[in-house]
Amino acid sequence: MSENKRNKKAKRKQTKAKNILLRDTGIRCSEEPTKVRMLLKCHNNFVHRKHILRLSASFQYVMVANGGLVTGLQQEQLLEITLPYGGVDGIVMLPGKSYCFIIFKDIHSASKAYAAIHGKIKITPDDSGPLYLAYTEKVPELSHSWNYDYKPPGLILLEEFVTEDEEKLLLNCVDWKTTDCHLGQTLKHRRVKHYGYEFQYDTNNVNKDCPLTDSIPCECNFLLDRLKERNVCALSSFPTQMTVNNYQPGQGIPSHVDTHSAFEDPILSLSLGSSIVMEFRHQDGRAIPVLLPRRSLLIMSEEARYAWSHGITPRKMDVVPTLSGDLTIQRRKERTSFTFRSIRKGECNCVYHDQCDSYKKKYRQSEGHIKDDTLAAKLESLHVHEVYEEIASHFSDTRHKPWPNVLSFVQSLPFGSILVDVGCGNCKYFGYSVGLFEIGCDHSVGLAKVCHDRGFEVFNCNCLSLPLKSEIADGCLSIAVIHHLATEERRLRAVEEMVRILRPGGRALIYVWAKDQARHNTLSSYLKQDRKTKSKDYNSQLKCVSQCNSVSKSAGTILNEVSHQFPSLPVHTNRTQFQHHDLLVPWKLKPAVKSEPDQKREESCLEKGSHEVPTFYRYYHVFDEGELERLCSSVKGAKVVQSYYDQGNWCVTLERV
Amino acid sequence: MLTSKCLKGVNVGYPLGIVARDIKVLETEFNSEFVLRIIPKLDWDTLWNAADSIGHSGDLPRTLSDDYENDVEFLKKVHHVLLEVEVINGELVCPESGRKFSISKGIPNMLLNEDEL
Repeated sequence: MSENKRNKKAKRKQTKAKNILLRDTGIRCSEEPTKVRMLLKCHNNFVHRKHILRLSASFQYVMVANGGLVTGLQQEQLLEITLPYGGVDGIVMLPGKSYCFIIFKDIHSASKAYAAIHGKIKITPDDSGPLYLAYTEKVPELSHSWNYDYKPPGLILLEEFVTEDEEKLLLNCVDWKTTDCHLGQTLKHRRVKHYGYEFQYDTNNVNKDCPLTDSIPCECNFLLDRLKERNVCALSSFPTQMTVNNYQPGQGIPSHVDTHSAFEDPILSLSLGSSIVMEFRHQDGRAIPVLLPRRSLLIMSEEARYAWSHGITPRKMDVVPTLSGDLTIQRRKERTSFTFRSIRKGECNCVYHDQCDSYKKKYRQSEGHIKDDTLAAKLESLHVHEVYEEIASHFSDTRHKPWPNVLSFVQSLPFGSILVDVGCGNCKYFGYSVGLFEIGCDHSVGLAKVCHDRGFEVFNCNCLSLPLKSEIADGCLSIAVIHHLATEERRLRAVEEMVRILRPGGRALIYVWAKDQARHNTLSSYLKQDRKTKSKDYNSQLKCVSQCNSVSKSAGTILNEVSHQFPSLPVHTNRTQFQHHDLLVPWKLKPAVKSEPDQKREESCLEKGSHEVPTFYRYYHVFDEGELERLCSSVKGAKVVQSYYDQGNWCVTLERV
Repeated sequence: MLTSKCLKGVNVGYPLGIVARDIKVLETEFNSEFVLRIIPKLDWDTLWNAADSIGHSGDLPRTLSDDYENDVEFLKKVHHVLLEVEVINGELVCPESGRKFSISKGIPNMLLNEDEL
């Protein structure tokens, strides 16, 4: 390709990307690098010290037009390419986008990198085309910053814990040649060897009655004294179990919390051979990379041990800070970790219930969820059916945009199919396919009326007993319905009913609310819609306070009646992560504001002080990962075809066999 | 397609009787291919009886002829009873228990009381 032609192509690619960026984010690109003053933005729940110092400094943003999370571009790769041209302060990758942003420390670095990379450099030799860049005025707010200043509470890192000689000694005491397949096993991503007790990966636990013949090598004994020397009295006696993990560059370990009932607090881990970055994740969405230097000891105690999961992303290099606070790339070498754990006798009594298997076992055995069917029916009647009648028209006004994945399911049904939407709401998935015979049903009389007014076939019924003949439907929808059912038995019955009305080969799509609204570090659209805290500040988003006492008067009677029967039913704070599985979600009734005169009327109402909005409480059971799939798999005569997470929902496609 | 089998003690609950007080006839776009695909999914006797009971069977044949697929006039008639005749107010009646389900403003109410489950 001639120089001229290549330039033209680069220009074309750049223009296209600029338009996409403008459409997506409203951010404009500029022809020349322009000074941008960096505003202090607190992206995480802690303040980045580095940024405060540089408040007055200027940065330069550059968009990578054809590389991002969607294209599989890794931050490390990008940093490796750009670093030779100047200092980089950060890289911003947006979920679901094929572009990303580089924050350069100054204009000089940016223009040098731009001149060298734009339209010229490929990420890997076999890539189809080079990277295209453009200068931008801003970067979108969601930022991934490498921050090594903050650690999860309870996490202690002791650097230079062993000397190089001791490191050699320890590495030599592991006999990888042991032939017993149980003792020296090669897992998918690493080599593992256990001492003292064997950790069983199928149950994520140890067999406490069956110690191994290999106890912890005596070469490790000096470590306990070393702990005392370093003034850490985390341990009363030396741990009884040791796991040695051997990682080649590119290998890692999936994120996990060590089973509470298996091991005591704390857990110790010695890093030998190479430094590595370990990622700590909290269920509220916070993710913190922690650099574990070679020959350091990591102590995970309390919250860090019980509530944070930790893992190592399989890759060949890490992004690490330099002494001056800049970012650089560090290639991984072979690393061996010695993890010391004390076997727990009895059950765990921690307060981090969400991750605690002991707590879950106890909870399920004793009080359990709502078991009584009559009580469940009453709860649904009060906190689902009655509420939807009250909010029907306002609810319908807020529900027009169909979710793309549901729509594509509907549109995948063959011409002439019969589609039944169980819990159809305002029939927001009807009318998109001409060749479908669409029938909706809903418990709410008000919502059914909305559907009928829109010209759809609809009737009222309860999804637990569908008044439909068996095997009549080709497709079945259940979008945000069965999470309103108060016992697992009832949720199962609802799925069974749908399977019953499907013909063999017919498919059902089920969506339920997920307990985890910030999966993969991405806020669901439910969290994102928070009008008050647009800042995406995790900390404020994820605070969920039980507001039972501050519930507005209008719903007080209902709540009292139920709280009498369900004393443990908490009230959820909207647009936050869920803290419980069974809860009440408030719905604030607002007059529908559509035309301008309406709005004025509403404003005048507000002025008169009649702005007390009635609040209703809807019951929800929010689902854990895998819960919906398990539920659906237990239905006879149906198989799970697909199971996925979509914007804060767990979703399953079922097929009648 | 509706049934009252969900009622306690009802075994078949099909087909439901129809009592029509108000009937609305509307016009919808005819698509022969669509009607053709739907017919095999229906119980023809039930459809005929239902249409007949509300006085809209017209000259629909009691039984499906073998070559209905090519009979456009016939398909148009099916289209009419299926998609253009709507019972606005009336009742659906369980053939076994006699339980009545009201149809109000075009919407059948199949909700049950607790003691009927």
